[in-house]
Amino acid sequence: MRRFSFALIVLLCAAGTTGAQSAAPVDEHTETIKTLLARLEKVEKRLAELEARQPAAGAPAPAAEPFAGAQDKPGTQAAAVEKREPAGMTHAGMGQGAEPPPSTFPSLKLSGFADINFSATDEKNVNSGFNLGQFVLHAASPLSRKVSYFGEISFTATATGYNVDVERSIIRYDYNDHFKLSFGRYHTPVNYWNTAFHHGSWLQTTISRPEMIKFGGRLLPVHFIGLQAEGDIPSGGANLGYSFGVGNGRGSIISRGGDPGDVNNNRAWLVSLYSRPARLYGLQIGGSVYRDKITPGPGQRFNELISSAYLAWTRETPEILAEFANVHHSDVNTGRVFNTHAFYVQLAYRLPFTEKRWKPYYRFEYINRPTTEPVLGITGLLGSTAGMRYDISDYAALKAEYRNTKRGPGQPHINGLFLQTSFTF
Amino acid sequence: MTRTHKMRPAKASGTQTTRFSLALLCGILTAAFLAPLAAQTAKEGAVAIVVNANTPVSNLTLAEVRKIFRGEKQYWSTDLPVVLLVRAPVARERDIVLKVIYQMTEAQFRQYWIAKIFRAESVSAPKLVYSTDMANQLVSTLPGAISFIDARQIGSGLKVLRVDGKLPGETGYPLR
Repeated sequence: MRRFSFALIVLLCAAGTTGAQSAAPVDEHTETIKTLLARLEKVEKRLAELEARQPAAGAPAPAAEPFAGAQDKPGTQAAAVEKREPAGMTHAGMGQGAEPPPSTFPSLKLSGFADINFSATDEKNVNSGFNLGQFVLHAASPLSRKVSYFGEISFTATATGYNVDVERSIIRYDYNDHFKLSFGRYHTPVNYWNTAFHHGSWLQTTISRPEMIKFGGRLLPVHFIGLQAEGDIPSGGANLGYSFGVGNGRGSIISRGGDPGDVNNNRAWLVSLYSRPARLYGLQIGGSVYRDKITPGPGQRFNELISSAYLAWTRETPEILAEFANVHHSDVNTGRVFNTHAFYVQLAYRLPFTEKRWKPYYRFEYINRPTTEPVLGITGLLGSTAGMRYDISDYAALKAEYRNTKRGPGQPHINGLFLQTSFTF
Repeated sequence: MTRTHKMRPAKASGTQTTRFSLALLCGILTAAFLAPLAAQTAKEGAVAIVVNANTPVSNLTLAEVRKIFRGEKQYWSTDLPVVLLVRAPVARERDIVLKVIYQMTEAQFRQYWIAKIFRAESVSAPKLVYSTDMANQLVSTLPGAISFIDARQIGSGLKVLRVDGKLPGETGYPLR
């Protein structure tokens, strides 16, 4: 044992000199590892250089200005300048290279959406042909670290020219994630589609909006003028959110909001709640209640209560959107009550081949309106839409869809073929 | 003879002990060299979530990381907005983050941010950074900044966040 201990101590103290035959492989390993590490380091350095050059090849154009935070760091700024693409306009939705320093507020960023359509149906007295869809400009501008402005203007072709409309004009103050207060003209958060896609045809899978929330429609109030508070509700994995709004409600033409003022001196209000469960990433479920008093004609007064619910699974494999709304009207003069309800279910699937550019879809929609309902002036609907979306690029799509609709008992089925190219710029 | 006979086994035993010691030494030295290498290998491929040192957070769940990188959580506190820095394409770290955090393709990621701004949910998209050095410098400089960096290339002055209680290199770390 003594001999063993002695030998071990000697060996540990003079490992390099004693037992040279045994130590030799260790030295060889060490050298090999060192050489490999040195080579790895070189390769990593080279890779980093190549990666730094990559954005010029295929990435969206970064901003022209350097980071505000980097301005006092010459090295950083130099790196940013060196690795930047040539200056140019960038889409507001793409990454920018700069947080505007306080002195540069406001910092306006513009983006746009447009679509061109072709339609052919077997409906009597309806012509087939091309039509220019909507040309939409969207502006977003931070006015300070906590105040932002958002605007949306649409240009829609009419028989005599173009109809220009301020679709949204919102100024928002962010206190924190739990409370954000805004004023302006909104798309009413009474429905998922209305606030998810707005006027961006390219954003929605299909060519058409569901009938229950179509622009110019009367079933649900598409626009809302007033104020809105929104934010997250501390709720752990449930990820709850809310919005609460007070505004003018429907105008005298009930398909329009009360932009110039409240027609009946009675504010509408709405509350909506939603959840994006952490465990079911991609799922959003929610519902809302909207209350108003409407005066569609002289002497006519109705209480309106709209309750709605939705489910949206947006992962695209599959994509599921489903919404339901009940529009309750009670005549203040007679006490009569009318309920109109509508729903749609839309399914789509992003196919895995050809770079995931194809997305077939199907939507079923239904509207049931009592024939004696005196306010809405709409027809019922039983409709199916089937189509295919092909993404030509990351920012443009081609869509083709077939629709079959029936407006009510005794009405004929109408078949239609619709084509669209929609894009953002 | 007897003495000689006794000496031979003792010599053989000494040789065996020496061999054993040498083998032990080799083992110790090899372990000494391989331990750092093993640690390096464990970090290899891992992407660290880093924040500015003054950010009041040190541990997030993957769901919380996802919420921040999706722009759903925009404030660390009332006075400290989240400044989201995302590596520009094409970078391995970006691929991992798109796959694990966003669970999106490059095209879906772009569409996601265009839609988010269009919905007035965010005023701008994440800021792009073009290299690890740039990410290191900006995160250490900008209050509220958060980004992701190759775990082997984390600069000084950054705080590395635990994700689901794990640091890069630890078993079960999700971003790799």
